[in-house]
Amino acid sequence: MKNILVIAQNTLKETIRDRILYGIMAFAVVFLMFTVFLGSISLGEDLAVIRNLGLAGIYFFGMVVTIFLGASLMYKEFEKRTLYFILSKPVRHRDVIWGKFLGLVSSVTLTTILMAVVYLAVVAAKGGGVDAVVLEAIALQIAEMGLFVALTIFFSTIAAPLASTLYAILVLYIGHSLSLLTSAVKTKPVIVQKIVLVIYYLFPNLEKFNIRNSVIYGIRIPWPELFLSLAYAIVYIILLLLAATAIFKEREL
Amino acid sequence: MLEISRVEKAYEGRNVVDDLSLAIKKGTVFGFLGPNGAGKTTTIKMIVGLSRPDAGTIRLEGRTPQDPAMRAMIGFMPEAPYFYEYLTGLEFLKFCDSLFPEIDRKPDAVYTKTLAEVGILNAANRLIRTYSKGMRQRLGFAQAVIHDPDYIFLDEPLDGLDPIGRRELKEIIKTLKSRGKTIFFNSHILFDTEELCDEIGIIHQGRLLYSGPIGHFTKGKSLEERFVETVKAASPAKA
Repeated sequence: MKNILVIAQNTLKETIRDRILYGIMAFAVVFLMFTVFLGSISLGEDLAVIRNLGLAGIYFFGMVVTIFLGASLMYKEFEKRTLYFILSKPVRHRDVIWGKFLGLVSSVTLTTILMAVVYLAVVAAKGGGVDAVVLEAIALQIAEMGLFVALTIFFSTIAAPLASTLYAILVLYIGHSLSLLTSAVKTKPVIVQKIVLVIYYLFPNLEKFNIRNSVIYGIRIPWPELFLSLAYAIVYIILLLLAATAIFKEREL
Repeated sequence: MLEISRVEKAYEGRNVVDDLSLAIKKGTVFGFLGPNGAGKTTTIKMIVGLSRPDAGTIRLEGRTPQDPAMRAMIGFMPEAPYFYEYLTGLEFLKFCDSLFPEIDRKPDAVYTKTLAEVGILNAANRLIRTYSKGMRQRLGFAQAVIHDPDYIFLDEPLDGLDPIGRRELKEIIKTLKSRGKTIFFNSHILFDTEELCDEIGIIHQGRLLYSGPIGHFTKGKSLEERFVETVKAASPAKA
């Protein structure tokens, strides 16, 4: 456990010092400010527009940070051979995978919290308050990003950064389309329905983490549903990291 | 004692290390020599647990490299090391040290002393991305010895260093030797090897051509002369 925390701390330090992260964050902050302007041209729906676009902005920029850093994280360790320093010490492969995961999740969580603070300040400036559902939406976004970090770490143990990024975007797209997909094939032949069912269980259902519409209407999510979504993310993350560790162990350095 | 017994390793069907056996006693400074592509780096990677042999065994004081307890006894410096560019030299050294078990938190003075010994104390708080090749080499050496291991494995430790840097690092290796440390290093800089080693091993095309005391090998000739003779004699004649 100690080595996992040491590697996590090192990864956090390394990622938050990356200048590209600051570039993405600057864009995110500018975008969040820009929602005020978009709200002002929305004929009396200022707050709804700011809330909707603001949360979408946090999600979008959070995902950019996650995919960008996650896809290259393990690849850089292999390619630059920094793993030589780590694995020649009494460190296990699983320590590296979990340490990298926790470090990157911490980094993504910090950036999401920073964006959320700017978002809440913008909402407050326009006369809105902090609803519990906003905090739930941000917590679920962080859970989705955690799942995504695990996914990009998994992909980056088997593929180069560009391919990992493409795979991750593909999973992101499919993961948010699963409900649509299952309802679209209801009238199709059984074989098609079975294939879609396999896809449904294989890919993470990312819509479980999207409650942005509930924020606009101020509808609270029941606690059991919230916990179920978080548990879903945790189980998926554990499975992905176990698979990543198994592949990593067999990989020739 | 380090015991390598009948070790083989192949990449894409080509034997890179072929039936290698070596026994290195504790306290020995062992130079592992060979031309480029001879199998030196593959061997050292298998010894420190970065790669697994296809056949044969490697044991250090009875433990295999896959045992974390074995890796706790060693220090390793990779060839032309890469680092985490956004850490400072001091942060990197602390990071490496903290990966060892049961090491109490050391005062910064311990780390700065090591950085001073390898000659980069003035860059301790600078990001590694600003380091020159020689400074990186020195930092790579520092992280290999920071936890005071009994066995030290160095892959081309003197590469990329200027004459002053080479002299300083050689002095440190001599000091470590006088403290009873076992040092195994890969090199193709024969002059330095002659100066530092008790024993040498010569590998060519994955096969061990000689292993033993340096004096028995040179037989009054220079190491370079004998090395070239031996390697040429073992190479297939060119058409």
